[in-house]
Amino acid sequence: MSALGEPIRDVVVAGGGIVGWSAAAALKRRLPWLGVTVFALPPPPDALADRIGPTLPSIHGFHGDLGLRDADAVVRSGSAFRLGTRFENWVADSPDYVHAYGEHGRPFGTASFHQHWVRAAKLGAAAPFDRHSPAAMLARAGRFARAADEPDAPLSGFEYGLHLDPPAYLAMIRAFALHCGVREHDGVLRSIRLRPDGFVEALELDGGEPLRADLFVDCTGPAARVRSALDDAWEDWRRWLPCDRILIADGPPAPEPAPLDRAVAVEAGWRWSADGLRRTSTGLVYGSAHWSDEQAARALGVREAAPVAIAAGTRPQPWLRNCVAVGDAATAIEPLEWTNLHLAHSAIDRLVAMLPDRDCAPVELAEYNRQCAAEAARVRDFAVLYYAASGRSEPFWRDAAAAEPPPTLLHTLTQFRERGRLPFHEEETFGRDSWLAVLLGQGVIPRRADPLIEVVPPAQSDAAMAGWRDALAQAVARAPTHAAFLQMLHRQVTR
Amino acid sequence: MTDTGAQRVVIVGGGTSGWMAAAALAKLLPRRCSVHLIESEAIGIVGVGEATLPHIRAFNDRLGIAESDFMSWTRATFKLGIEFRNWGRIGDSYVHPFGTFGRGQGEVDFHHYWTRLRLQGLNPPPLERFSMACTMAREGRFTRPTTEPGRITTTFGYAYQFDAVLFAPYLRQLAESLGATRTEGKVVDVELNGETGHIRAIKLESGERIEGDLFVDCSGFRSLLLGEALGEPFQDWSRWLPADRAAAMPCRTETAVTPYTSAIAMPAGWRWRIPLQHRTGNGYVYSSAFVSDDEAASALAGAVEGDAIAQPRTLRFRAGRRERSWVGNCVAIGLASGFLEPLESTSIYLVQQAITALLELFPERGIAPSDRDEFNRIIDLEYDRIRDFLILHYHATERDDSEFWNYVRTMPVPDSLAEKMELFRRRGRIVKYREGVFLDASWVAVYLGQRVRPLGYDPRADLPPADALLRGMGELEAEVAAAAEAMPNHLDFIRGYCPMAAAA
Repeated sequence: MSALGEPIRDVVVAGGGIVGWSAAAALKRRLPWLGVTVFALPPPPDALADRIGPTLPSIHGFHGDLGLRDADAVVRSGSAFRLGTRFENWVADSPDYVHAYGEHGRPFGTASFHQHWVRAAKLGAAAPFDRHSPAAMLARAGRFARAADEPDAPLSGFEYGLHLDPPAYLAMIRAFALHCGVREHDGVLRSIRLRPDGFVEALELDGGEPLRADLFVDCTGPAARVRSALDDAWEDWRRWLPCDRILIADGPPAPEPAPLDRAVAVEAGWRWSADGLRRTSTGLVYGSAHWSDEQAARALGVREAAPVAIAAGTRPQPWLRNCVAVGDAATAIEPLEWTNLHLAHSAIDRLVAMLPDRDCAPVELAEYNRQCAAEAARVRDFAVLYYAASGRSEPFWRDAAAAEPPPTLLHTLTQFRERGRLPFHEEETFGRDSWLAVLLGQGVIPRRADPLIEVVPPAQSDAAMAGWRDALAQAVARAPTHAAFLQMLHRQVTR
Repeated sequence: MTDTGAQRVVIVGGGTSGWMAAAALAKLLPRRCSVHLIESEAIGIVGVGEATLPHIRAFNDRLGIAESDFMSWTRATFKLGIEFRNWGRIGDSYVHPFGTFGRGQGEVDFHHYWTRLRLQGLNPPPLERFSMACTMAREGRFTRPTTEPGRITTTFGYAYQFDAVLFAPYLRQLAESLGATRTEGKVVDVELNGETGHIRAIKLESGERIEGDLFVDCSGFRSLLLGEALGEPFQDWSRWLPADRAAAMPCRTETAVTPYTSAIAMPAGWRWRIPLQHRTGNGYVYSSAFVSDDEAASALAGAVEGDAIAQPRTLRFRAGRRERSWVGNCVAIGLASGFLEPLESTSIYLVQQAITALLELFPERGIAPSDRDEFNRIIDLEYDRIRDFLILHYHATERDDSEFWNYVRTMPVPDSLAEKMELFRRRGRIVKYREGVFLDASWVAVYLGQRVRPLGYDPRADLPPADALLRGMGELEAEVAAAAEAMPNHLDFIRGYCPMAAAA
């Protein structure tokens, strides 16, 4: 057994986008004895976590750990709320559906709520699954409320994300990091200087002193400009995620921003539209084997096509020696389900919780990498699910559905298709209800209902489900509109 | 294929696992199956006074079993954890509690702060004083946990110590009231379908032939269906868990009825002490390579506190599990599927997990491979995780006073465990899994209780000033002590709540 080494004192965070400044803020705020320097390389266009506005609910936990209040993190940085995404045209001849966060239905009897729903669906008597989700019902009504603390209240047990205004949010998180004591360094990166043992010694810049540190955190986007100097091991996901181009175009804000964004499947990919407070974010994600960039530009309704290329995949070891890749530098994935910034936050949190010594002992890094790999795999599975369970007839979609899913997703699909069971996986980002919303929304209906519900007669299930829908509808009608809620919040903060 | 009508489930063996399975299937899948249990009074059951894990409460709830009724029938006591004596060194004692150290909140685990003070030479009080469950156990107190958020009395759980010989009949009564049927008889032959290899029927000594669709093997160590008839291979783990015998001997409850089980290390294994209301179960689990049966029996007889009620009797076993627990139309539950010594009271837990998985994956008549494979995946994971935890108890020792301890102290351990131990030794980190029976506090209790002391700790534990930390710990220690002080004595609580029924 080896003795512990010297503690880490100095950290350089490479990358001057949202991810880099978020990492620096968290490290300095939560491990205040560290010297933290941001080497503020401008984020490249393919660093999606730095560019995409909609986020998952996990961002609130990240803010909470930093001690950031909604007044700064939401109101002053011009964020809006988002309760979920409406998925349109992903399955031919199927209605659209909403994936919102948190509870769908209340359990009753001897098995999970969704098993009652599955039985009713097979008897042709089920209302859409998302009608049982408080967040989805609020979202469809254009209303917003925070989840109530009382577990019995209909509008409880749900979560919501934010729709950031990326430039304003970057300014906020940068100001916060500087306020906490993070230093900023500008310059042009020339090369990475390694020590004989393979550790990173310093970042060599054009002119000026090299940047030295005990630990280097690479937040430079998919190119991973620091981490890639150590090795180029890569796990390719392109056979499962067929979109390799993204076109992003922002437009003027909607008069009443909806707390629900849209993801619409098209012939060779999908496009999104998400209302922010200061702009509407739109984009198109597509496969270049099926669509030219010009076709894509026409489909999105923009004149000029300047697409970003993405090659889906992950580093099997995001952390090697004294360099850890975070966010898109560790995992490159398309923005479906808005996981880019979430993966960055999660890695930052793990980094804070597992900070090793200067020797970066392999046994400690292995545990970090194990958790990251498991998390990334399940985020990938969730995105692949949309392609694996799509029901469209164009060649792009037929090819995507024909690919054998990754083993962990196949496990989920097999178990669910057979009997509506969701096997447990470690480091899962999306909760059971999220998996259910998308599986059922995509039309993956279990072959049989769980026999454990047979002790409850179908009529009794139907009545319970209808009662729940009524209670939700009444509660939703009393909630303020999203716009009214935001106005109220702004008044509270600026008063 | 269509699935019409109820399936005939035949359970072979009527011990704890057989009747737990029968009651659960009859209660929760009444339309899916008919339950027929075959047992022979000529074959004894292994049950020797069982100590359980808190999970048993969820099982009982699901079956609609009222706690006080069950406890009084099985002459049960409460269990807050396990006391391990003489494991790290002779003279050591620690409690592995059902509960947390500290409040179990906050982003840095309590043991990191405690380790920091220890490494700084500030001599924090023993870790147990910050555990509600440990403190209650040491003081012999019991009351049930409360639910108000933030209170120290919410930070523990509990299980039971009960007489397994009485639990099976209790469940039998319940299962039969729910429609399960029972046939007395000894299985002499198992009839297989030549094409599918599935079990078609079993034949009893009486000549009776019993057909079924699904066979549940609860025949104990013998593994009559899965092992003998179907020949499923056994994965032998005895190189890590060399104990292969137990001598069991009940005695009178002369000493205190403790709200915990004891596991006392012995020269070639360990000894259990499980106090029930009417007697105390004792047994010496040992490795026959290191001690003879006679020596073990006399060592046990010499060690028990209280007058013996019976002569020691010897059980034989081997650590490990069948490669698969569900093969064809045969599901093995309990000892028929595998054996892990009762060091951490996991026997009934494993039975319960197998039953829960069977309920969730209850097959149709044409059994889908996906059901079977998933069942086996779940059960294998349970066995494998518990295995590592048990090996830790033997391996993390400084004892060098016998050949047995020299062997387990120096044996190579599975890589999965070696990595876990190295992570803890360096910085007190626990490998995080959400699935699996033993979570962070359990690993912390055993590591620190057995002298695996980290060289460092989570650097965030350096944030509070030392005097503030010591003050906070002092307050917590006082709060725990005061809460325990206000609780009733364990035996008094039992007398008021679930006194044993008069002898039958």
